[in-house]
Parts: sequence; C-alpha cells; structure tokens
Amino acid sequence: MSAILTIEGIHTFIGQLHILEGVSVEVPANSITVLLGRNGAGKTTTLRSIMGLHPPAQGVIRFRGEVISGKRPYDIAHLGIGFVPDYRAIFRQLTVAENLKIAERRPGDLARKQEFIFSIFPDLRRLYHWPGGQLSGGQQQMLAIARVLVPDNHLLLIDEPSEGLAPVIVEQMMAAIRQLSGQTTVLLVEQNFLVASRLADRYTVIENGQSVHAGLMADLAQDRALITRYLSAA
Amino acid sequence: MSTVAPPALRSTAFRQSLVVSGLFVLALLVVNFLFFPPGTVAVVLLSGLYQGMLFFLVAAGMSIVFGLLDVLNLAQGSFFMLGAYAGFAIYAALPEGAPITVRFVTALVGATLFGGLLGAAVEVGLLRPLYSRPIFQIVLTFGLATAINEVVRAIYGPAGLVPITPPAALNTTFTVLGGQFETYRVFIIAVGFMLMVGITLLLQRTRLGIVIRAGVQDREMVEALGINVRRVFTLVFVLGTAVAALGGMTAAPFLGAYPSMGGQFLLTAVIVIVIGGMSSYEGTAIASVLVGLTRATAEQISLQYLNTPVLASVSILVFMVVVLLVRPTGLFGRE
Amino acid sequence: MRRHLSGSLPGLLALLLFALIPYSLAAVTGQPEEGLSGVARIHSAAESVYCQEGLNPAAVALLVEMGLMLGAVIIGGRRPAADGQRPFFSTDGWHLLAVMALVAIPFVIAWRTDSSVCRRGDAFFWQSIFVDVFILAILAMSYNLMFGFTGVVSFGHAAFFGSGAYLVGLLMLHLQWPWWTAVLAALTTGALIALVKGVVGLRIRGLYFALFTLAFAEIFFLLAGNRILVNLTGAEDGFTFAVPDWLNSTKNRLFFYYLTLVALVFSFWLIRRLVHSPTGRVMAALRDNEARAQMLGYNTFYFKLIAIVLAGVMATGAGVLRGLALKGASPNVLGLDFTINPLLMTIVGGQGTFVGPVVGAFGLHLVEQALRDTVLTIGGLEVNVGERWALILGLVFILSVLVFPYGIVGTWQLKGLHTRAGWRRLLRRSTDLSNRE
Repeated sequence: MSAILTIEGIHTFIGQLHILEGVSVEVPANSITVLLGRNGAGKTTTLRSIMGLHPPAQGVIRFRGEVISGKRPYDIAHLGIGFVPDYRAIFRQLTVAENLKIAERRPGDLARKQEFIFSIFPDLRRLYHWPGGQLSGGQQQMLAIARVLVPDNHLLLIDEPSEGLAPVIVEQMMAAIRQLSGQTTVLLVEQNFLVASRLADRYTVIENGQSVHAGLMADLAQDRALITRYLSAA
Repeated sequence: MSTVAPPALRSTAFRQSLVVSGLFVLALLVVNFLFFPPGTVAVVLLSGLYQGMLFFLVAAGMSIVFGLLDVLNLAQGSFFMLGAYAGFAIYAALPEGAPITVRFVTALVGATLFGGLLGAAVEVGLLRPLYSRPIFQIVLTFGLATAINEVVRAIYGPAGLVPITPPAALNTTFTVLGGQFETYRVFIIAVGFMLMVGITLLLQRTRLGIVIRAGVQDREMVEALGINVRRVFTLVFVLGTAVAALGGMTAAPFLGAYPSMGGQFLLTAVIVIVIGGMSSYEGTAIASVLVGLTRATAEQISLQYLNTPVLASVSILVFMVVVLLVRPTGLFGRE
Repeated sequence: MRRHLSGSLPGLLALLLFALIPYSLAAVTGQPEEGLSGVARIHSAAESVYCQEGLNPAAVALLVEMGLMLGAVIIGGRRPAADGQRPFFSTDGWHLLAVMALVAIPFVIAWRTDSSVCRRGDAFFWQSIFVDVFILAILAMSYNLMFGFTGVVSFGHAAFFGSGAYLVGLLMLHLQWPWWTAVLAALTTGALIALVKGVVGLRIRGLYFALFTLAFAEIFFLLAGNRILVNLTGAEDGFTFAVPDWLNSTKNRLFFYYLTLVALVFSFWLIRRLVHSPTGRVMAALRDNEARAQMLGYNTFYFKLIAIVLAGVMATGAGVLRGLALKGASPNVLGLDFTINPLLMTIVGGQGTFVGPVVGAFGLHLVEQALRDTVLTIGGLEVNVGERWALILGLVFILSVLVFPYGIVGTWQLKGLHTRAGWRRLLRRSTDLSNRE
C-alpha cells in the first residue's frame, strides 16, 4: 500500500488559536479514507491545511512524494488535488455550465469529462444551464463534487458530503463516490458514521486537534468500544 | 430527456430593482418636461447621458475591484485625471503637421496604456502587501490620490490646461428638438456605451469573466480550484485604472485637464457605486446613468431658479444618503 | 486600581492654580501704566514684567516653580503600582512634564530669540502656531474617541469642526449674542447634529455609515460656500466677526494660548476619564468584537451613539476655538482637510492610545511649520517643502499604513510590551535552569 498523501505531525493555527496539535495521516492510493471525530476536533482544518488554505506552522505534508505544505492553494490544486468544502461552495450566480467550466485546468478538460460526469450525476445534464442558486441542496452538492471531476485529480478532499441531505440523495452520493474511488483517491470527512463505515476503506480518528487512532474500517466497524470512545454519539 | 427551460438567470430582487430604476428615469423625464421646453429637455437628457458615461468610466473599475479585492480604490479619480494629462502630453509630443485624428487616437490609446501600467505598478507595489483592513486601504489609496494630485500640480501648475481640439468630424454641433448640442458629447456617450457593452461581454462570455464573477462571490474557492487569484487581482485592477484613464482622455477635449478633476469625479464615482451596489457591475452601469440624469436635471433647475448650479452636487448627495438609509447595499447589491 | 493624576480633578486644578503664582509675582513687582485702576491696573503691572524681551523675571519664577513641581512628582510618583512594578517616572509624570513644557514654551522661545511674548516677534508668532496645534490636537482626540476607542469610522468630522466655527461667529455677528451664550449654543447644536447623525445613520453598517457621514459633511460644505447664502455666511470668502478684547487672539495672544492649552488638557482629562469608566470599557469591547458585545447583552447602538455625540461636541468645541482664534470662518473649515487631517494624525500618532492623536497633531503640524521655507534638492529637482506639503502628507499616509499601522505611540507601546516580555522570558528561563539544578 503506497501512500499518495502523507501528513506528518502538523500543527495549524487559525489566528491565535492552536487548532491542530499534531496530526498524522496516511492516505493510500485508490482508496477511500475517512477522518472521524467529534465536532470541532479539527477534521475540516486538516483538509484545509492540505489544500493550503491554512498552511501548517509545523510539520510536513507530502503528496506523491512532493512536499506541498507551504505552497499556495492554486499550486496545490494544479498538482492534482480537488477540494469540496463543507459549505457547498458552488458559485450561485453562475450557471452549472459555468461552475464546471471554471474548474478546468487545461482547455478541453470539460469537453473530455462531460460524459463521464453526466454518467455519475445524470441530473446535471438536465440542469446544465440553470443558475447555481436555483438548484436544490442535493443538486448543489452533486455539482460541487462534479466540479472536482473536471480536471484530472489524483486526490479528492470531500468535507461532509452528506450534511443536510435527504437519505435518498445520500445514497446517490455514496454510489457516486464509490464509483470514483476506482480511478482516484478520496479523503473524506464524514460526521455520519453509518455513511462513513459503508463507504470508507480506512479511517483516522481526530480528537482535540490530534490524530489518535487509525486503521481499517472493517476492523473499526466491529469494535463497539472504540466507536463509543472516540465518536460518542455514533 | 429534453432540457426543461431554465429559470431566469436573474433573481426577482434584481428585476424589482430594474423596475424601480426604470420608474425613476420616467419620473425624471416627467420633471424635465414639466419645467423645460422640449429643446432644453433634449439637451438636459443628452448632457445627463454623457456625464453618466464619464462617471461610469471611473466607477466601473472601482466597483469590480471592490467586489473582487475588497479594496475601495480612492485613487480612481486620480487615474481619470492622469488620463487627461497623459493624453495632453502625448498629443503635444506628436508633430504638429500630423493629422488631428491620428494625434487624437494615439493620445487616447497612449493614455489608456499609461493608466493600465501605472495601475499595475500600484497594485503590485502598494496593495499586495496590505491585507484587507478597510480603513487602512482607504487611507493608502487616498494618500496615493493626494500624492498623484500634488505631483501633477507641481509639474503642470494649479491652473488647467486648455482643451485640445478634437478631430474635425467630432467638432461640430447639431440641433435636437430645438436644443443645441455638441457632437463631441455624443462621441463620449458612444465610447462609454461601447465600454459598457465590452465589459459586459468580457464578464459574461470569457473565461476571465467567469473567474471574476466567481471571485467576487468566493475568492477562496476560486483559488482552491487552481486559479492564480493574485494575477487576476492585478489584471482587474489594471482594467479599472485603464478604463478610468481612457475616460479622462476622452473627456479632455471637452473638459480640459485640471488637477481637481480627480477629486470631483471620485466623489461622484463613490456616489454611483453606493447607489448601484458596491460590488455589482450592472448596478454601477445603471446607477451611472441615473446619477448623470439626476445631476443634469438638477443643474438645469438650479440654474434656472437659483442662478447657481449648486443643486447639481447636492441632489446626487441627497440621492446617495436616501439610498444609504433605505437600502444601504444599493439598488443591485447583495449582502 | 491606580489613580491617575491626569485623570483626577484635584490634579487638574493644581495644574491650573500654579499658573497664577508667577502672574501674581509679576503683578506685584511690575510697573503699571498711568491712569489705570482695579483689574486693569493689576494686569498692566503684570504685563510690564512678562512682556519684557528675552528672559524676564516672570519666566524665571515660572521655571523655578515648575522645577519644584517636577521634583514633587518624581518623588511622589514612586508609589508601587498594582502589579508591583516601580516605574521611575509614571505615565502621569510624563504628561505633567509635557504640560509644563507647553506652559513654558512661549517664554523659552522669547528668551532664545530675544523677543517679547506680547509684541510682534518670534515668540508671538510661534504662539499662534501652537494655538493651531492645540486646536488640531483636540480635533484629533475627538476623532480618536470615535474611531480609535469605539471603532466607528466617520468621514464627516469636518462638519462638526466647521459648524462650531460658523455658529459661534454667526451668532455673535448677526444676533449680537454675548460670547458665552454663543459658545454654549454652538456646543449644544453640535451635540444635536451628532445625535441626529447617529440616530439616523447608525442603523447602517460600518463602511456605509462612513460614506453617509461623507455625504453629510459634503452637503454642509456646499451649502456654506454657496452664493445663495452670501448675506448670511459670506459664501466662499467667509465672514469675520468681532470678539471681546480679552478673547482677542491678536491683542491678548498669550492669554488665548493658555486658554487653548487648558482646553486641550481638559479634553485629555475628559477622554481619560471616559475610557477608564465602565462605559469606556464597553466601547473598547465594542470596537474589538461588536457581535460578542451584543451577545453579552450590551445595547451597542446606545454606546456608539454616546461616542459619536461626545466626539461631535468635542470637535465642535475645537471649531469654536478656531472661529474665535481667527475671528472668522470660511468654507474650508467644513472642508475635507479637517476630516483627513485628524484621521491622519490619529493613525500616525497611534489610534486607540491617549497621547497618540496629540503626538500626531504636534508632529505633523509643527513639522509642517518648521519646514515651511526649506527647499530640498533631490537629484536636481528643487522642492519647496511648504508648497508641496500636501504631497509629503500623501506620502506619509502611504508610509504610515505600510510601515507603522499602529502609529508612533502604538508601535512604541507594542515594542515596549515585547521588550518587557522578552526580559521576563529571559529571567524565567534562567530561574527554570536553576530549579532544574
């Protein structure tokens, strides 16, 4: 198992607050890894640190062997990392088409990937010229994920994809993500343990800004004690 | 599956504001016809349009820069003035024998380029080190404006320069509904309108336009998508200053060039973007026309009944105050 | 909690009282003019002493007295503060020293230039410069109260300043009101204008409120300078009015000097008192994080309103002094200059500090005056500093934002903090080591 992304003991500050106090994660290629933990543990900050939005003050992040901690977000994106934030950051005043177009990193990306994207998210074909703000929550989430499929990304960072979505939509989302993991690696943050356990291959638990436990999801799903200890209300 | 017709691209709020603006223009027209004979009305309306276009040229850059960079560039007025002076300098530097049209066009292009280059220098040198702390960047751009004004004053003196002669084709007058009007003002309106359309096309049809519109909504996400936002910032800033400089040079044959023109147009540009909505491009375009028409109407009324043009400036200030109190985000702004 | 000398009324009164001693000495030893009686006779006697050129006995008496006071402050100021530290010279000591220096300056200049404080000459000239500085300092402090301490941004401060000057003049000129009624009326009107501005404008958010104040002030400016009001205000030329002799800054400049100095000290005291009071603490909390202050249950609107009204009244007061000093007013007192200058002085001096705006005012205005006639040659270009002062000001703007965002006093205080923290860390480390032994 070769790790496509390694986070080695990073400390991240937001302003004066010491959010991450030593987080280490290993993400193997072509898998789905999930970051688990309670609210405010530092899961989102970890993703944002990887993306360069909150550069770590200490520690190193390596992607495909290259050190990316300290680079600017757009350089990190160009190395093949796609980011889907937890606040459904689609551009409401732009159409679906424009939202996808802006994600291109090389001219023609969208043309090549269009059919692939529509095969995973068929609704988007119908909604192609709709303004982003008029889509439902679930459709916006699909668009947000579709956006990182436009360029050739080797790693997708997805933050809370199931938040605020109806169970039926969540099922669709999970199917889509599962389909993706065959060709690319996914690092997920997911509050909903049911979704996480059914989707992920591996997990890392973050508690109080530190990574405290990691392993195979199959093992964790059996371990009631661990689940209650780290995740309280699972 | 056939594509269902997409819902309107613009929200109801937008369309409501559009209606309000239309009604306002209608009201102005009514006021005009009530007070003045048709000849004067035509002159007032054309005057309002040409003033509005000049305001637009200064305000457009200001509002897009504010939306994208969160910086209120108070030096925009100075770039307008610099455009006029640069145009003069270029015009004077070209040989006397050359045809006026050639000199004129070269001056126009040259002034625009000068504004753009200086804007690039300012953005990279002064604005980049500064984080978005509203009061400080306002102080910075204001200091810059003061410095530029004083440098110009030192080089050229406080009195204005005599207006240069525009090409013969534009140097005529014509009559509309009994009122006399200079062709040059129509030229200004045409230039302004072309830029309005041009910038709209840029924003709606090009990739840069998509990036700008997205960036105004969520700068961070645009960067996370792999776009070098810093370069976009500089580009947008340069666009703003270049357009302002173009405006200054376009107005130069008509207004001349004098150091305080920067301050005057700056204040009006601020009024325009407040009324239109500070980060809304459409708002700026529409508001500049509204402000121009209001100003022209008020000026005419003021001259006729008070023998002084003071109501012109007071009226648009009151307009701004009313908008701030009733809907601070402006006619087309969103918060 | 430490009791600040500059924040206590007895201290303030002591300050004022001591000015009377040299005056009394001069009155007793001087030669009055013939044919005067009563107060005029006493005053004439005092004048004959302190109006002498060069170093005169009254000045000497003043200096001796100040030396004694200084000694008393140094010795008395050595009481330990709450955190156990023993400063050599407390903050109040520095303030007092500064005030003493300002009291003595006219005489010091008279001595050094061999001129008189009462008649045309260097000392006389510089008194009017300092009067301008004091007025600007009060204006800057009022701006700082609103902006530095409460976080309310305004671009219309000149409206208050100009209103003060215009109102006091117009009331005395057209309605023949006595000076104290005019002054009171001007201040009250200033308060009312501020109240209206605040109540109407505070509903809207920061930047928009600032632009609202800008429009407000600009309307004032346009109307005051307009020809339609020429009979009332004199339009762009402004107007002049008569003031009683004792308030006349040309005839009795020294008195006017001390009057404005007293106003400055009083304003400083007022602000000090306010900021240290419970109200002031809420204002500071408001500036740092308005949402949190609201969640704690404070009616932020009310506190911002108080700040605006107080700042408005103080600025109007500065304007009144300006009107009296110049015995007239013209549209430029309502102009953007008097909004930009206090803003700049506050930022360069250090917003949110007490002495910051004062330092800013002194620094900028005195430097401008001192360099008035100097001509710099930079690479072949001759630059007359006095003429190009606006350019220098613009550059100072830019520099102060890029290099000194906390202002002179602010950066000093921060550095002080860092140096002290550094020493403490150093000491702690050495004690740590000794413990581990």
